[in-house]
Amino acid sequence: VIHLMLLIPLLAGFAVLLSKGKGVWGLGLAASVASFAATLLLALSQPLGLAGEFFNRSFKTEWLPALGINYAVHYDGVSLLFALVVSFMTIFAVLYAGYRVEEQKLPGFIGLVLLMEAGLLGIFGSRNLILFYVFFEATLIPSLFLLGLYGNANRSRAAVKFGIFTVLGGLMMLAAIIGVKAYSGAATFDLADILGQLQKNPLPIGVQTWIFWGFMIGFAVKLPLFPLHVWLPEFHAQNHPSGVADLMGTLYKVGGYGVFRFALPLCPEAAQNAQGILLLLSAFTALYGAWVAFAQYDFKRLLAYAGISHMGLVGLGLFSLHPVGITGSLYLLAFQSIYTGGLFLASGMIQQRLYALESGSNRLEYSLEIGRLRGLAAHAPAFAGLVLVLWFAAIGVPGFAGFIGEVSIFVGVYQASPWMAFLGLLTTVAAAAFALTAFQRTWYETPAEGVEFADLQGFEYQILVPLVVVLTVFGVYSAPALNMLKPSVAALQNYGVYRQTTAQSVATPVVSSIPANTTSEVGR
Amino acid sequence: MTPPDVNFLALLPTAITLVVAALVTILGFHTTNRALGILGIVGLLAAIASSVLIWGQDLTTFANAYRADTFALGITIIVAVAGIFTLLVSLDQAEHPAFRGAVGSHEFYALLLYALSGTMLLAHANDLIVALIGFEVMSLAVYVLSAFQDRSESEEAGMKYFLLGSLASAVMIYGMALAFGATGSFNLDGIRTAITAPGFQNTMLLGIGALFILIGFGFKVSWVPFHQWTPDVYSGAPLVVTQFMGVAIKTAAFAGLLRIFGAGLPNLEAWVLPAQVLIAVTMLVGNLTALRQGNLKRLLAYSGVAQAAYIGLAVLAAPNLGWPAALYYLAAYTLMNAGVFAIISVLAKDDDGPDIDDLAGLAQRQPLLAAALAVFMLSLAGVPPFAGFWGKYLVFNAVAQAGYWPLVVLGGLMSAVSLYYYLRPVVVAYFGTTVNPELPVNPGGATRLVVALGAIGIVVMGLLPNLVFMWFQTATGVALR
Repeated sequence: VIHLMLLIPLLAGFAVLLSKGKGVWGLGLAASVASFAATLLLALSQPLGLAGEFFNRSFKTEWLPALGINYAVHYDGVSLLFALVVSFMTIFAVLYAGYRVEEQKLPGFIGLVLLMEAGLLGIFGSRNLILFYVFFEATLIPSLFLLGLYGNANRSRAAVKFGIFTVLGGLMMLAAIIGVKAYSGAATFDLADILGQLQKNPLPIGVQTWIFWGFMIGFAVKLPLFPLHVWLPEFHAQNHPSGVADLMGTLYKVGGYGVFRFALPLCPEAAQNAQGILLLLSAFTALYGAWVAFAQYDFKRLLAYAGISHMGLVGLGLFSLHPVGITGSLYLLAFQSIYTGGLFLASGMIQQRLYALESGSNRLEYSLEIGRLRGLAAHAPAFAGLVLVLWFAAIGVPGFAGFIGEVSIFVGVYQASPWMAFLGLLTTVAAAAFALTAFQRTWYETPAEGVEFADLQGFEYQILVPLVVVLTVFGVYSAPALNMLKPSVAALQNYGVYRQTTAQSVATPVVSSIPANTTSEVGR
Repeated sequence: MTPPDVNFLALLPTAITLVVAALVTILGFHTTNRALGILGIVGLLAAIASSVLIWGQDLTTFANAYRADTFALGITIIVAVAGIFTLLVSLDQAEHPAFRGAVGSHEFYALLLYALSGTMLLAHANDLIVALIGFEVMSLAVYVLSAFQDRSESEEAGMKYFLLGSLASAVMIYGMALAFGATGSFNLDGIRTAITAPGFQNTMLLGIGALFILIGFGFKVSWVPFHQWTPDVYSGAPLVVTQFMGVAIKTAAFAGLLRIFGAGLPNLEAWVLPAQVLIAVTMLVGNLTALRQGNLKRLLAYSGVAQAAYIGLAVLAAPNLGWPAALYYLAAYTLMNAGVFAIISVLAKDDDGPDIDDLAGLAQRQPLLAAALAVFMLSLAGVPPFAGFWGKYLVFNAVAQAGYWPLVVLGGLMSAVSLYYYLRPVVVAYFGTTVNPELPVNPGGATRLVVALGAIGIVVMGLLPNLVFMWFQTATGVALR
């Protein structure tokens, strides 16, 4: 199964790229569903008591043995949760692409989406640092082509900017990877190997600091943290108006995961030393994103800055170096791709309707201007309702998945630095302000006269409703997802990520609704 | 008197190439040019087969002046592949009016094969004199090849290359003489023994000699500031010849460089610091000037300068890490560069090749060609999962282990810069809204075969690096005992 989930989208992606016509949609859909099913099977095998070779969660084989590079994948709870989200959202990406993308572009579009899925699943599974880097950079290629081939007028510029930022960050990370292996004295780039060596003799703090910042630059580009975020708004604004590519881009925000998986356990002391500045940067990113989002006139740019703001919160949680905060971060990171992705798809639906009104004279991107048409809720009440729910999820209203993540983050950050927690809380207020203002200006106020704005159609329900359902379910009953996260988060303690004082709180439940006796799986 | 120590088995790859070259020279008066081209390809395939035959045996001959170890044989195979690619492309161009037919003549094939035998000799040289002979055989043939077309740019290129090249050769020969004076030996093993022997006096003399040799090779691999000829010669010479120079000549020059400095003069202070400076400057200048090129062929010339710096890093590494890494890099580089030049040949209306902006809409007119272009360019930029990434990684890793961290960091930064200019042709070919209908698409199955082989090779070497690397890696340890 561990290979199926990756190979299905990979092979289907190439098959789709090479074929023509409407039939590719069915193939793409089948592949994405199959990949999700495989991931789900892997995730459920343990609670269901299924065992055997087929349900193995780890796999390791030699790749370039001379340099200690092996193909090592392992899906623990955290990896699986992200893999589930990725494969789940890909289904909707492919589904909506089938309705929205022009037929002659469809094979390329769906093919690239599937290739991206394969790359992302690889990123979350890699347990060899070089393998991680290869997946990390390889995923850039389909992402770049999605933007460059099917984006708006200024796409080339956005694509080059995006590419250079990612590669530059990636190279810094690569330097850190080579450094950490060289200094640890491990024989391979296998994460377990290096960690094992480091536990015996930790790196001197000077070396650790260099390596940590190498990792941080790589991941800060992808998180993104201020000031390395500047590629992101353009990336989203220039992507295909359907929002499908934006959704995939949202899934590609793997920086937070990278910090959790590599940077923190490999350089715990350096992380503790840098905690202050990183918290400040994260809090600033969160506030800055919210602030700038308030001033945006374009739906996608608004969403891009909202995303940056969220990522600031994720950063806050991670750098709280407190188990509760880190759990919250990962939770938020996983579920923000569902609501942000859902909102991008919704923006695609809005754009389609508005564009139809334009008679084609205006340029495509202006159709997403906020507030140019108002009072749309009168025409499309159901659409308005669902979008409002997604926004609620995004700004952390209780009852949705975002809330759980944000609360945990604040609990964690408060332990580390109350002032930073306060700054973070300000962000949620700001988020509510920009989200509701934008919502109000679009959907309420006096309806425009003589404008037809259709309500959701059947297939659009199929896309938005499941997302809202998932967000609500995991907002109310978070235990399954939290249980997937907890063992790996707790395991960070073994590598000295947490300060001594906070160590005992690992044992206490993260949020009171979780039973404390659930230890489904510990590391490997 | 003992009979001379000649092991013909060790000579096999080079000898085959030389014999085929001679055959082509003679048969040129009796058969068609196309048949000669095919004969050349067959001969080079035989040379590859013979290299495989004696792989791993580490044979030596001529009193240890000629050494067929894995490093030499690996280089031989790489240049033979480069030669085959060149011959394949020239088969197509011989019949095409855009290239005035000169490249398909029998003198052309003969010179090409002589140049190849020179490159192989240089790769096998374990002796300064043998290296010099290989170096000169290869250079003289290529001087003529660059001037092979009756247009003024080509003649200018040939003349320029010849004048500057002879100067570089002269400097190098002087350096070799000084090294001999200092150590009393032309043989690399002998030189090394002399240096490491206690009480070695002539450090100064040897250092100057080593520097001069470094300059000679630095000219051939186009390190800054000895690169001035590169853009002019590259853009003036016939397309296939540029392809050949960019790949085979550079590979052979690196082989000589690595061999002489790795096996003969390891860790000599006199050249290590200058080499670092040269490489760092080359990285900066090559990459930054490549940013501003508008013509694809010139872009590749400057990118070649930058790539020469990356490969050159291997000189600084310990041979047991650096040599296999360089072999891998050169193998990948041969595939990608020959592939890109083959694409240029398909799209060229004359020997200048297309400008980058001319590529607009290529993805719609020639989807497979555009896809191959994207693969080559991303690989040249060092983006995984293509072979170029592993090449760069292996070399950087080897140099980092030797402790040259600043150079590695600089190389990483410059790779990111290079992504910008490598992506530009891809961006124009794929992301543009306009289609350029005037871009010629020349017929020619052999050139397309080169493109396909190169692209497949890059992907396979990228996904399964060990498939190739294990051969280089197991054996080069033997080369330096």
